[in-house]
Amino acid sequence: MTEEPLELRRLERRDTDMELTYEDGTTFTVSYDDLRHACPCAKCAPLRNEDDTSMHLRRTIEAYPKEKPLVKTVGNYAISFEWKTGCSSGIYRFERIWDLAHRRDPDRGRPYVHGAW
Amino acid sequence: MCMSDSPVSVHTPGNDAPSEAPAAPDPAAQKQMEQAYAQMKRKMAMAEIGKQIKHKIMVLSGKGGVGKSTVSTGLALALAQQGHKVGILDIDITGPNVPKMMGLDGRKLHVEGGRIHPAQGHLGVKVISMAFLLEDEDTPVVWRGPIKLGAIQQFIGDVEWGILDYLIIDFPPGTSDEPLTVAQSLPDIDGMVIVTTPQEVALLDSRKSITFASSLKVPVLGVVENMSGYTIQGKGTPGSEVEIAAPAGRTLRATCDDEGRFSLTLDIFKEGGGRSTAEEFGVPFLGALPFDPGFVRGGDDGVHRIVSEPEGASASAFSHVVASIQSQLDGASSSSLEII
Repeated sequence: MTEEPLELRRLERRDTDMELTYEDGTTFTVSYDDLRHACPCAKCAPLRNEDDTSMHLRRTIEAYPKEKPLVKTVGNYAISFEWKTGCSSGIYRFERIWDLAHRRDPDRGRPYVHGAW
Repeated sequence: MCMSDSPVSVHTPGNDAPSEAPAAPDPAAQKQMEQAYAQMKRKMAMAEIGKQIKHKIMVLSGKGGVGKSTVSTGLALALAQQGHKVGILDIDITGPNVPKMMGLDGRKLHVEGGRIHPAQGHLGVKVISMAFLLEDEDTPVVWRGPIKLGAIQQFIGDVEWGILDYLIIDFPPGTSDEPLTVAQSLPDIDGMVIVTTPQEVALLDSRKSITFASSLKVPVLGVVENMSGYTIQGKGTPGSEVEIAAPAGRTLRATCDDEGRFSLTLDIFKEGGGRSTAEEFGVPFLGALPFDPGFVRGGDDGVHRIVSEPEGASASAFSHVVASIQSQLDGASSSSLEII
């Protein structure tokens, strides 16, 4: 994927998803379940390497109580989400959010290898 | 939020019925909660810093020994000369030498109300460095990444900088824990200044620093070429020609003026590499700083060249670099993400 993501201007937290508005005015919806399943942290990411652990991760996430996360920017390049339950470690680069908004695999098909970042 | 005398309160779910005598809190759990509370306060303080400090500039290089600390202190002093309120945050945990260069060797930091007050060096420049916390200067700091991370966050969140126009952040060489932690923790960083020397080995690493900045979405304010050329001056017979054996087998020639003076610049570490790297990556070239042995003496004596010779060639070169940085800052557009 070579396209340059547009700048994210607005993030509205709703009950079960978030609405993203980019600089050209286009809006996208990303569900919290999709967001949490795409967590890039070193604990969650390897679970997506195998289908069965990935599905288990998904089921675990879907079983969490529905809640709005606290959202914080990380430097100029990423966002983090803080949840009352489950993992809050992931730092989501804006490119990752852009991929999620476009329903694309944010891992770009690559398996997670610990320490390879 | 209402705060009681204790920094944290304990609530056990499912145990809301009044009990006769509350159990004494587990000391380990209490300590853990106090640490969590201190961390939360620090994060809030880090967010506040963005409002108190107008411009935050990171000074990086890929390679060691290119003069980052000399450039950082020079930029800070040049800005202070213009009348700005300036601070230097020396993030080089294992090799902190900004205090020595600023004439603050052996100084201890003042701590009041849980807040660290920076030391003040020449021209009122405020300085925070690991060097202030070491028992003696020969003691090595042998820390792994996560401990460094905690120290850096303390340096950012627990320091009472006050209102500053500029905060210059001096890093160790490379693109690892230190700049990453600062880029994540400090809000609204204006940009990075990449210091290099003209030779290919240094330029190779500088390119990594530029790519690193791009990866973190921190603007590159520009590249500074340090140790750019060594100017020698001498006297001879008026009108006579002088020959100097220069590096790479070259011969430099100059003609003595009417008073017999001549001046030649030797490109000890090659020339022009900083400018060509900046052009290659499409980032501004901020200027070249001369190879000046006065920096070495000044660093050892704690009196920077800009302070000892404010009208000299080196001070003038720093002013040019500062003007270039300020023009970058003036043109910068900031955009903010609205989170609802």
